[in-house]
Amino acid sequence: MKKPSFNRFTSLSSRISLWIVLSAALLLAVAMGFLWRSWAKSLRAEVNKDAAQVLDNTVLRVNGILEDAELAANNMVWLVERELDNPDAMVTISNEAIRNNPVLSGCSISFEPYFFPEKGLYYSIYSYRTAQDTVGWEQEGDDSYQYFYQNWYLLPRLLNRPCWTEPYNETSWNVVPEMDTEMLVSYCRPIYDRDSTFVGSVSVDLSLKWLTETVSGVRPYPNSYSILVGHGGTFLVHPDPEKLFYQTLFTDGLLDSDPVKYELGQAMRHQEAGMRVVIIDGERNFVYFQPLETTGWSVAIVCPEDDIFGDFNRLRRVFALSILLALLLLFFLLGWLIRRQLLPLRDLAVEADYIASGNLDHPLEPLERIDEIGQLNHSFRNMQTSLVSYIDELTKTTASKERMDRELQIARGIQMAMVPHDFPRRNDVDLYAQMTPAREVGGDLYDFCIQDDKLFFCLGDVSGKGVPASLLMAVARGMFRILARQGQPPAEIARQINDLISEKNEQMNFVTMFIAALDLKTGELAFCNAGHNAPVLIPEKCSEACFLDCKPNVAVGIMPGFPFEGQTVPDFRGKALFVYTDGLNEAEDASHVQFGEDRMLDILREDKFAGACGTIEKMSQAVALHVDGAEPSDDLTMLCVRMAK
Amino acid sequence: MKKAFTFCLSLALFLAARCVSSYAQDSPVPFVFIPQWTSQAQFAGYYVALEKGFYLDEGLDVRIVNPSSSQTVFEQLRENEMDATTLQLVQAMELADSGIQLVNILQTSMNNALVIVSRRGKDPMKLRGAKVSCWRTGFSQIAECVAAEQNLDFEWIQTSDGLNLFIPGAVDASLGMTYNEYYKMLQTGLVSPEEGVYRFSEHGYNIQEDGVYVTREAYRKHPERAKAFARASRKGWEWAAAHPDEALDIVMAHVRRDRIATNRVLQRLMLEEVLRLQLSPETGRREFRLLPGMVKQASDLMYRNGMIRKEIKMEDLLP
Repeated sequence: MKKPSFNRFTSLSSRISLWIVLSAALLLAVAMGFLWRSWAKSLRAEVNKDAAQVLDNTVLRVNGILEDAELAANNMVWLVERELDNPDAMVTISNEAIRNNPVLSGCSISFEPYFFPEKGLYYSIYSYRTAQDTVGWEQEGDDSYQYFYQNWYLLPRLLNRPCWTEPYNETSWNVVPEMDTEMLVSYCRPIYDRDSTFVGSVSVDLSLKWLTETVSGVRPYPNSYSILVGHGGTFLVHPDPEKLFYQTLFTDGLLDSDPVKYELGQAMRHQEAGMRVVIIDGERNFVYFQPLETTGWSVAIVCPEDDIFGDFNRLRRVFALSILLALLLLFFLLGWLIRRQLLPLRDLAVEADYIASGNLDHPLEPLERIDEIGQLNHSFRNMQTSLVSYIDELTKTTASKERMDRELQIARGIQMAMVPHDFPRRNDVDLYAQMTPAREVGGDLYDFCIQDDKLFFCLGDVSGKGVPASLLMAVARGMFRILARQGQPPAEIARQINDLISEKNEQMNFVTMFIAALDLKTGELAFCNAGHNAPVLIPEKCSEACFLDCKPNVAVGIMPGFPFEGQTVPDFRGKALFVYTDGLNEAEDASHVQFGEDRMLDILREDKFAGACGTIEKMSQAVALHVDGAEPSDDLTMLCVRMAK
Repeated sequence: MKKAFTFCLSLALFLAARCVSSYAQDSPVPFVFIPQWTSQAQFAGYYVALEKGFYLDEGLDVRIVNPSSSQTVFEQLRENEMDATTLQLVQAMELADSGIQLVNILQTSMNNALVIVSRRGKDPMKLRGAKVSCWRTGFSQIAECVAAEQNLDFEWIQTSDGLNLFIPGAVDASLGMTYNEYYKMLQTGLVSPEEGVYRFSEHGYNIQEDGVYVTREAYRKHPERAKAFARASRKGWEWAAAHPDEALDIVMAHVRRDRIATNRVLQRLMLEEVLRLQLSPETGRREFRLLPGMVKQASDLMYRNGMIRKEIKMEDLLP
């Protein structure tokens, strides 16, 4: 047998170590998962609180700036509406607004076309802060700059209320401003006359620089940044200049919809406050946002997850790595310890291999241990002792059996030599017989001889099988031959054999026999059936073959002095007789289905009877086909004799 | 409306003057092409033809001059030279009606891109008396005709920046092109692609738009030059359709050079939509020709609504 391959990874120690380490890892993972989760939750709550605080402060500062601008415009409008019949007063009002409100970069007081007929189509006073921090002003509006199409003018007219514009610059044609061009947001108020008719608008400009500096300065974490988003999702403050003013929260979603980003954009657009986790450039970011209710804008702080949970994650990674290393170390340590403990077992395996290779008497050292391995050593030594004893016994038994087999083979030769194999070669009679013992020696017999123009023949079956039966067969056959030579009739032969065998027959063995004497001159067949199967009489017309009618004599050897009765077939000429033992009709296949007398009869009836030998060969082949290799259960003997016509 | 008309008239007048004067001088003379808007994917085919040398292959030294912040269209008209421009079909008809003879040398658009998008998410064509923002520079002729015929009584708000009126809700709806303003409106998150959008092309007004025009006089004098420009431009558009990614790169290079306030996402969408609009609704192919049915429909619509004084026929615009 092939020895199973054995290596470090399939060893018992490795497997036990692995199971222990995996179990430990699972328990640790569950415990650490719970711990980290609680810790992360607590950390996140802390971060949320800090972010809300920072956003609150930012919103307060931005709102402060915006409210200053709103206040300046509100304080100015009532003056403008009072001086609607004095257009030149607008210059003073506008200049004063700039002078008194350092937060403002410009101020426009603009009127509907021809509102002041003496001023023509355009009348708009624009005051501004110069680089020297003085106040300058100009009248704006001409055919190339029709201010009443500008949003800062149109919005209060169309909305009929004060409002903030989205950031803009005074360049046109959809072009990105130069770096030194200032982006503005304006707070616009409508101007009404005494009839509450819209006549123009007041617009105060706030440099977006103020807001940008206020918002972009908010960086609670090293890589975090703040953004300001307009009402339409436009980025008004963003660290990436590519996104500034010309991209919105929804731009990327036009090509590749991201439900989380879309939902964040809508939440900010709808002036909600909260937090969303968004993937930006492949990284998770926590976006905290709050509305700027004054303008409808929204401020947000974008914090990369690594910034917030960086230390936490690093600690987690270090801890996880440490645990992993510890588990690895534990694995090897356990492996070493278990291997060390199992070392005697391995020695035992080597000793067992040596013993198994034939060295049964190889001494096995006893172990001074009282654990399972000690018990195994003890059991193994016991097994070795028993094995040696058993092998010795087996050797003797085998030798004895071989001797008996040899003797049985010799006996078989002797037995087979007892029955005649030289069949008569005559024109008047044809005889053939075949005997097949089920074991080395059998209890069937047949014999024949010609004495005084009479052909004596017999066929018998001794009860039992094997050697006892073969001995009785030899006696019966010897007696037949002696008595046949004396010319005794078949019934007498049966009687004398019966008397001889039944005397001191303590084993109660018996022989069924069919004994016959065929007068070769007259054709009379005398026979005596001593408890044997009735032979088949085959007339000249084979299809009429039938069992020979036999008187019910007992088998030879059962009842001493039994008066065996003989019978005759007056004219056997042209007929044949098929005599057999029950090894033929009771021959069984693997399913224990017997060959049967009917089938035997059918074969004989269909036979054209080419000769005694042919009939027996044909029957023999039919039986072999039926049993199909199954172990024979009984000896099989057939004899066929035919007398010429 | 009046402003737009003035612009187009000036442009056309300059076209004529330019062509007459330039060919009195020594050749070769640069071929100046001015699209009607700033650099964007709407003109991708011309940028491609320029960058890939299709114009040079035709023997033309083409210079594409877009309007910019420092030079308005009017200034460019006065100071630069121009040989061809792009016009919408309805603009060309207005000019033809005013007596300026133009020749369509290449019709790129085969479909109408005009939309009205409602700020309130409702059908904009049911908002009677609504304030609707439109361009100061024209392009809204069909919308004005349809609104007038349906008695919608819209108050048209001319502005240079309709989006910033649209966002705070200062207008009830805004006119736009499917390839430009429509996507900008979607980009605000204020509207959904399905709600409150009226596409004129889907309601019986699928009238062609952009085409390349030269003055009839210039065409008569130098037909081969105009035909060469048309051939190379057509080749540029076909190349752009076959290589949209590379064409977008070329567009973005022009966009960056001219500092246009846009982004790559919008330009990609614009290019896809403009290329789609170039497919004939009947054959599904890029045919680059005016369709008689659409010309007649545009002429009838504008004539009924008093935008032109006489019918403009197909042959009035063809060589």
